[in-house]
Amino acid sequence: MRRRHLIGAAGVTILGTGTARAQAQNWPDRPVKLIVPYAPGGASDLMARPWSEKLSQAFGQQFVIENRGGAGGMIGTEAAAKSPPDGYTLFFAPGATLSVLPILRKTPYDPVKSFSPIARVGDLVCGFVINPAVGPKTLHEVIAYAKQNPGKLAYGSAGLGTSSQLRIEMLKHRAKVDILHVPYRGSADALNDLLPNTVQMMNEINVLPHVKAGKLTLLNINYPTRHPDFPDAPTLTELGFPDSDVQIWYSMQAPAGTPRAIVDKLSAKMNEIAASEDMKARMRGINVVVPIQTPEQVAQHLVADIKATAELIRDANIRLE
Amino acid sequence: MELSDLFSNLALGFSVAATPGNLFWCLMGALVGTAIGVLPGVGPVATMALLLPTTYYLPPEGALIMLAGIYYGAQYGGSTTAILINLPGESSSVVTVLDGYQMAKQGRAGAALAIAAIGSFFAGCVATVAIAVAAPPLTKVAQQFAPADYCSLMVLGLVFAIVLARGSVVKALGMVFLGMLLGLVGTDVNTGNLRYTFGISDLFDGIGFVPLVMGLFGMAEIMANMTNTERRDLVTSKVTGLMPTWEDLKTSAMSVLRGTILGGFLGILPGGGAVLASFSSYTLEKKLAKDPSRFGKGAIEGVAGPESANNAAAQTSFIPMLTLGIPSNAVMAMMIGGMMIHGIVPGPQVMTERPGLFWGMIASMWLGNLMLIVLNLPMIGLWVRMLMVPYRLMSIAILFFCCIGVYSLNNSANEVLFIAVFGILGYFFFKLDCEPAPLLLGFILGPLLEVYMRRAMLLSRGDAMVFIERPLSLSFLILAAILLTIVLLPNIRKAREVAFVE
Repeated sequence: MRRRHLIGAAGVTILGTGTARAQAQNWPDRPVKLIVPYAPGGASDLMARPWSEKLSQAFGQQFVIENRGGAGGMIGTEAAAKSPPDGYTLFFAPGATLSVLPILRKTPYDPVKSFSPIARVGDLVCGFVINPAVGPKTLHEVIAYAKQNPGKLAYGSAGLGTSSQLRIEMLKHRAKVDILHVPYRGSADALNDLLPNTVQMMNEINVLPHVKAGKLTLLNINYPTRHPDFPDAPTLTELGFPDSDVQIWYSMQAPAGTPRAIVDKLSAKMNEIAASEDMKARMRGINVVVPIQTPEQVAQHLVADIKATAELIRDANIRLE
Repeated sequence: MELSDLFSNLALGFSVAATPGNLFWCLMGALVGTAIGVLPGVGPVATMALLLPTTYYLPPEGALIMLAGIYYGAQYGGSTTAILINLPGESSSVVTVLDGYQMAKQGRAGAALAIAAIGSFFAGCVATVAIAVAAPPLTKVAQQFAPADYCSLMVLGLVFAIVLARGSVVKALGMVFLGMLLGLVGTDVNTGNLRYTFGISDLFDGIGFVPLVMGLFGMAEIMANMTNTERRDLVTSKVTGLMPTWEDLKTSAMSVLRGTILGGFLGILPGGGAVLASFSSYTLEKKLAKDPSRFGKGAIEGVAGPESANNAAAQTSFIPMLTLGIPSNAVMAMMIGGMMIHGIVPGPQVMTERPGLFWGMIASMWLGNLMLIVLNLPMIGLWVRMLMVPYRLMSIAILFFCCIGVYSLNNSANEVLFIAVFGILGYFFFKLDCEPAPLLLGFILGPLLEVYMRRAMLLSRGDAMVFIERPLSLSFLILAAILLTIVLLPNIRKAREVAFVE
């Protein structure tokens, strides 16, 4: 499998050099495949749909979403990495598939070498929430409570090796508290136990409607800046935990070796879309913020995220298998 | 619950169900359901499995309304075949054959068809109201369930799946366990270990539900039917006198009522459902009849009771699915699959978070039943003609859609191969007379049992007493123990076997 891919890639490169410019000029002259490595219906799918719509309008070709779910995103990511780098397969990359999975598992792709970054497509904005039945109303009160009652608080995550697990491990590590981590199969499952106070804390976007309804207390916002929808929720830096925001970020990637001209063309158009009021409003509706970044900035962000995640995973001693 | 709440809930439901789009999907579901109900050898489970991937392209309300329609539609359709050609179109119409076909031979096919439809409609209406009344309080209870309670409930569910399965207890037990073992494949939620994946990344998330059911039910059924060379004899191509006589109605009124109550109750039990309901109702009617010797020779009660019972059960089996998120039978497992495709996690929160979906589906059942009674009787001629399509042509089309359907879910060629593997396995089960339904329940409930048990232990910080300390959990465990004892007592086991043989 691997060898066939390499031979194929080499062939494309040899044939490609002479006609690369012409190719980029005509690109796209047929539908473009957009691989989403999760099953339909989740947050990434929700985010990918406006993008596919806007890109289709902008380029006059269909950008078709292909859901390749499974193995925590590994299957879809592998498929994207092994697709021909001709600009007709793009990868809607959740940060975890590039910065968490390769550290925890043996992945059939390299997060940096297998892809060529294009742009950021959105960051999920959320924070730690606690069931009000417990008592504490701020993050500091929660930390004080956890110190007095070690092991009494339980935190529900969307599963092992997800960003939501990394967040609680980060908090436990930085604030030196003992909170029980309970992994669930997805965030909806965890929410079912959070509402009746079976577990007390969570950090996933699906809790936000319940925060707005007053059934859960939002303790902070996992983002460098405050969010206009939750102006009272402080950032972790404000709370005295700098560099602790484990962001859930998504980017558009192309298989490595995709002509630079196509990457630039896409990057420029995508940042234009991200800056439009209409896109901003639609993304805000699903609690997403889209940062404007060049391909180089995305690459730097990825490398930094991989480094920070690796440190956290080592310090907090998170392991699979 | 307040009565006014009930009405406002139902009003919300009807406003959702009566939109043109949803009415259309309801009609489609009911029609497809009737069609596959009429065709022997194509069951609602296989059909729903086939259509599951396509429902992704519908809004969730439409998708679930259509899937539900297939199920109760099939109960109507199954009786048509049973009465007219002495072959059960559906396993739940097996007993309808006994007296229905005899009635048809005596020239009373019209009356038999009409009473089956009227009984089904009555049962459907009652069951719809039953769901609307029972669901909200049950949901309230379910919202308080802790992982330990769920764990014990799963134990109870698995015991029911064994007790209520048709055929031998040993085989049912074996199938449940095999299902649980298949459910173990994949990533362990608590440690992240990979189990039995053999390095195939398509197995990291476990064996896919859709390829499993398509293989076990769809493919296996087709293979089994190919070996079946039974000829289909129409007793009459022209059905006359659709209106039953006053006498018929009077004789069957009580049977319909009894069938509805019995079926409604049995539908709620895990492992129960339409098949068990129709068998039990037939036995009951025969026991209560003044002259039991009439049964098997064209007694209208023998059609009215079971047909009402199977429809009532088909509908009340939605109750545990809607309130607890637990499938009581294979069809409900399919409904849960339909919800998951839309990113809806089945459970008590569905009613509060998606009231439109919840009540819309319930209201659509009543509308669907109404459509069925209006459409079904005039369309009997068409259904009969459909029976004449050679199976060898139909089977190829079904297989084709199976493969496309499963591929479109994850765009994975491996999953298409899984259908083939499970198809062959399913064929062997058929030959060995092992029912695949308990396997499916084991496959669904087994992993849930494990997850809830380990979660309960994690939250209790390793204290196993949690299963006994919580009153709900304790009552489920006691119930399960009683059931197991009963079914293992030699006397009752014999009686059970006799009942199922009948």
